[in-house]
This record gives sequence, structure tokens and C-alpha cells, in this order.
Amino acid sequence: MTYLSKSGLGGLLAAGTLALATALPMKAQAETTYNLALLSDFSGPYADIMPILASSREVVFDWWNATSGKELGVKLNYKNYETRYDAAQVASLWPGIKSELAPIAVVGLGGPDVAALSERLPEDKIPMFMATAAYGFAWQPDSWIFNPRPTYAHEAAGFLAWMREQRGGDEPIKFAVLSSEASPAYVDMAKGLEVYTEEHPEAADLVEVIYTDVQPTDLTAQMRRVARSGAEAVIIQTNTSIVVAAKRGLQANGADIPIMMSSHNGLPASGKALGGLAQLEGDFEAYGMVIAADEDTEARQFYQTLVSDYGLKAPWNVVTAMGISQALYTVAVIEHAIEENGAEGLTGELVREALFAKPITSEETHGFLPSLTFTPEAPFPLKGLKVNVGTVKDGKITIAATGVDVPDLSKW
Amino acid sequence: MVYFINDIITGALIGLLYALVAMGFVVIYRASKVFNFAQGELVIIGGFIVWFTTMQLGLSLWLSIPLSLVLAGLVGYLIERIFLTKLIGESVFSMVMVTVGLLILLRGVVLLLFGASVRPFPIIFPLKPLFLGDMLIPMNLLIGGIITIVAAVGLSWFFNRTRSGLRMTAVAEDHVVAASMGISVKGSIAFAWILGAILSTIGAMIFLSGKSLTFLASDIGFAALPVALFAGLESIGGLVLAGIIIGVIQSLTTNYLDPIIGGSLGSVVPYIIMLAILLIRPTGLFGWRTIERV
Repeated sequence: MTYLSKSGLGGLLAAGTLALATALPMKAQAETTYNLALLSDFSGPYADIMPILASSREVVFDWWNATSGKELGVKLNYKNYETRYDAAQVASLWPGIKSELAPIAVVGLGGPDVAALSERLPEDKIPMFMATAAYGFAWQPDSWIFNPRPTYAHEAAGFLAWMREQRGGDEPIKFAVLSSEASPAYVDMAKGLEVYTEEHPEAADLVEVIYTDVQPTDLTAQMRRVARSGAEAVIIQTNTSIVVAAKRGLQANGADIPIMMSSHNGLPASGKALGGLAQLEGDFEAYGMVIAADEDTEARQFYQTLVSDYGLKAPWNVVTAMGISQALYTVAVIEHAIEENGAEGLTGELVREALFAKPITSEETHGFLPSLTFTPEAPFPLKGLKVNVGTVKDGKITIAATGVDVPDLSKW
Repeated sequence: MVYFINDIITGALIGLLYALVAMGFVVIYRASKVFNFAQGELVIIGGFIVWFTTMQLGLSLWLSIPLSLVLAGLVGYLIERIFLTKLIGESVFSMVMVTVGLLILLRGVVLLLFGASVRPFPIIFPLKPLFLGDMLIPMNLLIGGIITIVAAVGLSWFFNRTRSGLRMTAVAEDHVVAASMGISVKGSIAFAWILGAILSTIGAMIFLSGKSLTFLASDIGFAALPVALFAGLESIGGLVLAGIIIGVIQSLTTNYLDPIIGGSLGSVVPYIIMLAILLIRPTGLFGWRTIERV
């Protein structure tokens, strides 16, 4: 009897263990699914970079589903929506996206998404995560749209402070800005730098803001004026066509003034449009995200994992880095929300709460982004802002500086 | 003072580039009374043809430029044959609406054939500017200005002094009447589109030489619009003067007013001039005044 009882108990334990063993994977397989809406521009002004950006962010969601998501029992589905980088198109698509997908988050692309959805998302209680730097006009408290990077003006200010330090001396650094009134976002970049120079006259001297067309006819005269003013840098955060026209204008004047670009119109894109990176020797790109240079960094290694294990086809460049970093901080926030609230019943509101609840560390984004501490005061982190600076040296993109502090800027 | 004169010269040359693109508007309008809204897109098509023959096929400029002009002419001919020839005798409004559709279609075709990447445009004219003392004149604009003046003189002579040109003018007056007089309406309109496409391609070469080629280049079609309306839609010679006036005013505004106001008034001022001239003289400076008997 005792023997039987023991064997019966053993049998029960074995059955229980088996049941548990089968139940665990069953639970993992019975995953909870959430949807993400990805706003894309495959036929508008950013159509040239969109396939790379789209595949870079999609592959991160695939990676997350296969790793963290699997452990947590959550799968993130995603769907791209073509916006043509047009606010009207975004606005008209949005009701359909909401009813079709009921997303817990939107993965946005640029200014038109912000313009179209900034009033709607708070009502719909769905947060939107951007890849780009932030905009001054969207610098409002209680936002539902978030940027991992500060405003373009912050990033340029960080670069200018770094450049001044490199140059040495107490004189403020003289610089010019090339912008365009074609987009409110472009104007915003210039306005922010005007505020920066007003607040920091000892550090920076803005000699001129030149507004031009998005495809300028000729900038020779404007660049001559910039050269005559003694500018030490030209900031262009608009598009590659303006960079090309400005470079040609500077070359025509025999002026060797470095141009600083942003991520979306950075060294690879502008170099390609000019016929080769060598044309941009000594020029810079600066932004609050990893520089996609040849150096072996943690971010580069993660990219290699995505290529080798998840079939990412995108080349290692700034656009890929943008897509990966955007998706990485998005999944980090969602993961925080799941840890806090459990896998079931996640909503856009809970995802947004998780964003403020705890910082997203640089480790979580595999070094693609600095540590990010969001607060309800702004759509981007206000403290601990850093930028990285890349340059072209001997025809190759190299890292000129990392973790450069960004000066404080007042809201404009 | 030297810089002031330099800005006037550069402005005049940019204005002549606008005039060359506007010539495409006028040539098509003079032959068919159709205002071609897709003129900027013809510039892009021309630009892509030049890029393709030079950068993709690797042909030398001496070969690629004439080949590009021939191909551009063929595109103009095909556009007319496919989309406009069936509308001969119909209202002009229908044809104008077709050009609006063309605007969208041509962008789509370019996207489909070439993709959306920003491309380096070949350096057709020397990048090194011409230095006249302290003055600096971009070479592409200088050569472009000369081409514009030569084209304007040649086309004015063609339209006003040759039988073919006068036939095209008759076609513009009334398709049915012209056809009843034995004039080939189809041939005249097709020739106008061929010419319009070739002029747009020359404009693309001057505009984009050494720069980048994107969709945004089509904006020059809109920039040329005030020049065409200011001159009057029938006057080719008037385009030169209108282009110079608008270019100079735009250049002075960009270089002297924009830095003060901190905006881009220079981009707007051609349209202000256009609206003013439409209010004062709706036919433009040199446009034909028509008297209709009812």
C-alpha cells in the first residue's frame, strides 16, 4: 500500500510536471497580440529613404517578437500606411487606421504626422513615437507624440558648442542657417537657433538665416554673403537639395566653410546627391543618435545581429540607424508597460504612462540612443541631452565626437 | 556697389532661366491655346533623360545631350499622340484638364521608372564661375542666359515670319476653322509639344547642372509661371524682358530685403508681380488683346 501510495504520488507528480511543462509553452503560444500603425512615405519627398527606414523598424519588431515578446507572451503586429508625407493624407487616413487596427501605438515619420495627429491622439489616447528630432512648435506639455531626440535646434546648438570648444578661444562661433519656408518644421529649426543665439550671445553668433526654395536655383550669391560675414559653419537641417546647392555655392566662392547636416539629410544622402562622399570632406552631421560610421560599436553589433539572424537587408547608414532606434525605444516602452501592467489589456494610455514611469536606458536601445527620461513637460527628454558628431575623413564617415552635451534652450 | 551690380546680373540670369522654362508654356499655348500645367514635370522628365543617358548609359556629354533632346522630343510627341490628339475640336478646357492629369501621371511614371532617390545630376556647364573683377557669375546661368536669348529670337522669328509658325497660330485660334483651311491641326499641336519638351530639357540642364535631381525640380515650372503670365502667354520675345524684370526684383529682394525681414519674400515676390499685372493688364505686357464680336 505504501509502495502503491508512493508510486501513486510519483505518478501524480510526474503527471503534474508534464502538465506544467506542456502548459508553459501553451501559455507562451497563446500570446496576446497588439497592433502598431506605422506611418510611411513611399511616394513623397522621403520615398528614397523609406524602404530602408521601413525595413529597419519592421525587423526590430520581428526581433522583439522572437525574443522579449515570446518570453512575455506578447506579439506586436504592424502595418504600414502610406501618407505621402502629407498632413492632409495623414488626417484622412487616421479614422480608418484607428478602426481597422486599434493600435496601442503609432510609429510616426515626420512633421506632417505631428501636424495632423497632435490634436487627435490625446482624444484617442494613443501615443505616437517618432524617429526624428523634435519640433519647437510641438514643444507642449502633456503630449501624446514623443521624440527620442531633442529639437533640431538643440542638436545644432550642441554641435556649435562642440565646434567652438574644438576651435578654442572666447569668441562666439559665427554661423549661418539655410532653411526654407516650404515646411513649418524647416522654419522651426531656424527659429530655435535664433533663440539659442539670443540666449547665448557669448557662445554663438548667428550671422544670417537664409530662406530658400527646397530645390534652389542658385545659392552662389547667398554663400558669398555667408563667406564675407566670417561664418565658421553653415547649418542645414532641411534637405539634401539645399545642401548640394549650398556646397556648390561655397565651392564657386572658394569658401571652405563646413556644413552641418542632420540625420535625414546627412552625410551619406547628401554625399550621394553630390556624386560622392569626398565632396563633403570635413563637413559634419550631428544628432542625438548613434553615428552609423565604420567603427565597431554596440549599436553596430546589434545591427549585425539583425542582418544575420533576422534578414535585415538595409545597409549600415543613418537611415537604418533611425529606423532601428525608433523601433527599439518603442518596444522598450511597450515592454515597460507589460512589466508594469501584465500582458493582457494593454492600452495606448498604459503605454504612455510607462514612458514616464521609468527611463529607457541606452542599454535597452543597444547604444542607438542615449538614456532617455521622458516627463509630461515635453515630448522629448529635457535633461541629459547628448548629440553625436560624425564627419567625413579621407572619404569615409567617421565619428568625430560622442556624448556631446547639449546647451539649455528655452521654449520658443 | 560691385555686389549690388553682381546681384542684378545674377538675378537677370536666373530670370532668363525662368523665361526658358516659360517658353515651353508659351510654345504650347501659341499652338493649341492649352495652358500646360505639367510644364514642371516635363522639366523633370527631361532631367531624368539627361541623367539616364549620361550617368546610367555612360555616354559622353557630346552624345548624351543631342540624344536626350531627341528622346525628350519623342516624349512630347507621345504625350500629344496618346492624350491630346483625340481632344482636337473639343473644348480647350478639356485639354487643360488633361494636362493637370498629366502632371500627376508623369510624376508617377518617373517614380516607377527611376525610383525616388536623390541623384547627382551631371556637370554639364563648368562649376567654376566667371570672375569679372570682384563680380562672380555662375557659368551655368550665363550660358543658359545666352541660350534663352538665342531661343527667344529664333522662336519669335519662327512664329511670326514662317508659314509653319503662322499655321500654328491659326490652329490656336480655332481647331475646326484651321482644319477646314487645310492646316494639319494634329501636326501643329504635336510639333508644339515636341518643342515644349525639348525646351524643358534644355531648362533642366541649365537648372540642374552639377546639382541634384529630385521631384522637387518640378517647382521651377511654378517659378516660371509668373514670367509667362507677366509677358503674356503669346509673346516669346516678351518672355526675355519679363524674365529679366522678375529675376532682378527677386534677386534684390532675396539679397537685401530677406535678411532684414528674416523671411523668404524673394520666393513670393514673382507671384505678387504676377497678380498685380493680371489686375492691371490681364493679357500681360505683350499678350494679344482679342476683340470678340457677339
